[in-house]
Amino acid sequence: MTTTTTFEQANSDQKLKEAYFTASQGQLIWARFKSDRTAMIAGFALIFMILLGILAPPLSPYDPSIAGRDKAYENGAPQIPKLWDENGFSFRPFIYGTSRIRSAKTNFRWVITTNRQDRRYVHFFVKGWEYSFLNFSWDFPGETFDVNVKALTFSTHLFGVDKGGVHLFGTDASGKDIFSRTLHAIFTSLAVGTLGVLISFVLALIIGGAAGYFGGRIDSVLQMITDAVRTVPAIPLFMALAAFIPDEWSSEMRFFFISVILGLVGWPTLARRIRTHLLTERHQEYVLAAKLCGASPNHIIRKHLLPSFTSYIIVDLMISFPYAVRSETALSFIGLGLKDPVNSLGSLMQNVSQADVLLNYQWYFIPVIFFIAFVLAFVFVGDGLRDAADPYSDKSK
Amino acid sequence: MTLLNVENLTVQFDTDEGRITAVDNVSFSLESGQVMGLVGESGSGKSVTAKALMQLNPRNAVYNGQSKISLTLLDDAPIDVLSLKTAKELKVVRGGAVSMIFQEPMASFAPAITIGKQMVEQLVLHKNLTKAQAKKLSVDMLDRVGISEADKRFDQYAFELSGGMRQRAMIAMALSTRPKLLIADEPTTALDVTIQAQVIDLMKDIVAEFGMGIIFITHDLGVIAQTADKIAVMYLGELVEQGSVRDVIRTPAHPYTQGLLNSLPKLEDLDKPLTPIPGDIPSPLERPSGCVFHTRCPQVSMGRCNVDIPPSVHVKDGHKASCFLIGDNGGPKL
Amino acid sequence: MIEKPLISAKNLSVTFLLGKNIFGPKLTIQAVADVTMDIPRKSFFGLVGESGSGKTTFGRALLNAVPISGGNVQYNDDEVSYHLERLTKAELKDYRKRSQLIFQDPYAALSPRMTVRDIIAEPLEVMGLMGSREETDERVREIAEKCRLNLEHLRRFPHAFSGGQRQRISIARALVSNPKFVVADESVAALDVSIQADVLNLLKDLQNELELTYLFISHDLSVVAHVCDNVAVMYLGRLVETAPTRDLFFKPRHPYTKALLSAIPSLDPDHSGNVQKLEGEIPSPASVPSGCTFHTRCPHCNDICKTVEPIVEPVAEGHNVVCHRWKELETPEPAN
Repeated sequence: MTTTTTFEQANSDQKLKEAYFTASQGQLIWARFKSDRTAMIAGFALIFMILLGILAPPLSPYDPSIAGRDKAYENGAPQIPKLWDENGFSFRPFIYGTSRIRSAKTNFRWVITTNRQDRRYVHFFVKGWEYSFLNFSWDFPGETFDVNVKALTFSTHLFGVDKGGVHLFGTDASGKDIFSRTLHAIFTSLAVGTLGVLISFVLALIIGGAAGYFGGRIDSVLQMITDAVRTVPAIPLFMALAAFIPDEWSSEMRFFFISVILGLVGWPTLARRIRTHLLTERHQEYVLAAKLCGASPNHIIRKHLLPSFTSYIIVDLMISFPYAVRSETALSFIGLGLKDPVNSLGSLMQNVSQADVLLNYQWYFIPVIFFIAFVLAFVFVGDGLRDAADPYSDKSK
Repeated sequence: MTLLNVENLTVQFDTDEGRITAVDNVSFSLESGQVMGLVGESGSGKSVTAKALMQLNPRNAVYNGQSKISLTLLDDAPIDVLSLKTAKELKVVRGGAVSMIFQEPMASFAPAITIGKQMVEQLVLHKNLTKAQAKKLSVDMLDRVGISEADKRFDQYAFELSGGMRQRAMIAMALSTRPKLLIADEPTTALDVTIQAQVIDLMKDIVAEFGMGIIFITHDLGVIAQTADKIAVMYLGELVEQGSVRDVIRTPAHPYTQGLLNSLPKLEDLDKPLTPIPGDIPSPLERPSGCVFHTRCPQVSMGRCNVDIPPSVHVKDGHKASCFLIGDNGGPKL
Repeated sequence: MIEKPLISAKNLSVTFLLGKNIFGPKLTIQAVADVTMDIPRKSFFGLVGESGSGKTTFGRALLNAVPISGGNVQYNDDEVSYHLERLTKAELKDYRKRSQLIFQDPYAALSPRMTVRDIIAEPLEVMGLMGSREETDERVREIAEKCRLNLEHLRRFPHAFSGGQRQRISIARALVSNPKFVVADESVAALDVSIQADVLNLLKDLQNELELTYLFISHDLSVVAHVCDNVAVMYLGRLVETAPTRDLFFKPRHPYTKALLSAIPSLDPDHSGNVQKLEGEIPSPASVPSGCTFHTRCPHCNDICKTVEPIVEPVAEGHNVVCHRWKELETPEPAN
């Protein structure tokens, strides 16, 4: 059509156009998402953090539980590896050795001093504490059903030092490495969030789906149930449940329980969204066209309704995730959720509100930064997805 | 007196897909008391042109440096609309001397405020009347446009009126500030044909009584033929033909206008087969080079029409068209 | 031998429930009231009316897309004969193959997530009309070609097409199952004027080729005048006049028809015509006037019109009118 362009350019223009014309909705959404810079940056950050969480064990030089604590370095400040100091350059990053003393002069508080002459070199791919990727045991009543799995066991870690400890984010009051704890906390929060969102999603899909698809009386009844569940106030509910949790429950059981509760409390919002999507889509003309061919409800749901809201649901899930993580964090922070020594971002922040910490051990706040970044990344990605998935709105007259 | 003078108006939009040209080098003028029909199909740029007159286009609109819109009110010097920047300056243009009515009457009225309140608010803002004076004027206006029981309607909400009445109310609201220029963007498209006839009559009366200039945007040539004095035909952002209604409709000079008139089903000649303009309207993203109509023109001469942009050629007094094929005495050479 | 009409509706009514009022009578709207109409085979039957006329509902009732509340409708083609108000499941399934709908809005009628090939193939796949995928593809290509769609474009998604092209895809989808009866509901209203003629010509060509019967619903009288052979006019759910096209447009009998025709703005600037302006608004379907529903706006209304509902009266061959006073008003058309 445009005679002023060269043949090759016209050809490649044509190829681009053809690609655009034959692009499915998924591909178009991805293309739009890619062009949103904020969302892409947030996406990478999110993937990075998720990887950090999943690969927490190999990345952490120390066992985040009490077993890995460094008695000689309690409440220690972060140790940042250096490449260069007044004694010269070194290809291998190093940190300084530390020692601690306590005396009358320091008011009987442990004071840690660094020895700048004592270089401890950081090595990579060192052998450290053992961890396994698949490690769980289910304790069922009776002996026969107990499941004990321990697989994929390794003991290589990304970095470590030859002597003493390397604590990138410092340590807490009992000497546990905050860096390791943070990484494991990301994983825990992710896991709790995922499980919670999954449970809400399944419930929301069934209830919201039925309400939206069938409409009428079924819709009214389900709506009443949804609203009833939604009006239950969350904090008192959690307090009651927290009181109910027996102390002897293992942290895994606690964890599972919290996730289930989050899921059960979070489904109404999602259900309402699904219902709205369905109600709109049901009345689209192309659905009527399918009905006029005698399509069964199954066919309509599968071929028209489900694909239509897959993109929206992915967006909704993305946006619900930070809510689940925030809820767990908030709960753990006020002591109703996961407690020390379990690592979750919330439990890590439990100690943060003491004055002592605020004045002296500011590095306790580092997990807070991670938490904020984590939630923000989800939110930006969710927003980006929503903008990209938004109206398949063609310009009508 | 020339009320409105548009020169070389070019409007482009910065979008994700690049810079799109919506209006390209459009020039026309309007006298007081004249009705001009702005006709075009989708993508013609007629709405964008109209909105430019009140600077209502979205933020990503780019006006080319040579575009000029001059509005002459009474004895004052002409106002250069495109140079107005602040809301205060634009007040004159928006709702003061220039009013606009839209296709969808519900779009004009806020759903939660009564019609009367909105009309009064507008008058108080633009005309510095007291509320009582404004109310009296509004009720008079509602009555004038043929709404029965005007004082009762004054206190009603927009959704309580039927489509035709809402449109009349919108006309009343637009006219109550006594604008010099009224822009009507597809005001009758959404109305039933019997109601449309009433509204057309109303507009004709109004022109006679108020002496305003009206720009009537539509795709319906029949409505234009009945209400307008002059007509401007737009295609893909270009003004391809303009002239008096009689001239353009009876002796169209541009192939697009000819094709458009030919493709209309006419009641007078039921035996004639329907002849569409071949092809599809190109999307604004793929504006053809040279003459924008060349891809569909039955009289295209390749090598010329697809390379150069045709200049505006004088066909008759007041009748111009942009086509290479027009001879000196009007009509395309065959 | 006079063929039986393809569709024969007698006293057809469609009533909608507006809202449930627990304490009082249910609020209902009669979208279609007591309509008796015959649609001959292979006709291009036009149905015109303004808002609230019930024309869309009528069309959908004939396709069994809305429930028929009263009266009966018979469908007769060469092979089968159905009573549409009481179809069995099997009959409905078969009827779906023989009757289809072309929608108004080309942007909403095509699922944005399916390729054009899948959209057109859907009726075949749902109704199980073809044996294998190859046969389906073959049929899709056949009908796409008839609708003048570029076969290379079958892989594309609807967002790649203009309004006119989408409408042709809609038409292809409607015709792929080889129906006998097609309802075109304002199928050209959303298209640009210069494209309308193209789609209308296509519809006409397809009718000749495939021996289709159309019910062409529109509010645009000029379009109807050009493509339809018979026209019916509806007002507020009731039939007002039915006639062959030329009779209707040149010798209308009902005051509403006359007003409707005269309201069409003429392309001739000097011909403002003797526009019979109708006063007032179209009443709401929820509060239908008594007697002749048109009496509130009729310039010739008298006492009988206000109280008694008029019945169908024949004017000429194929021409019926529903008006008390049509004979008296049958004065020669004012000359000009």
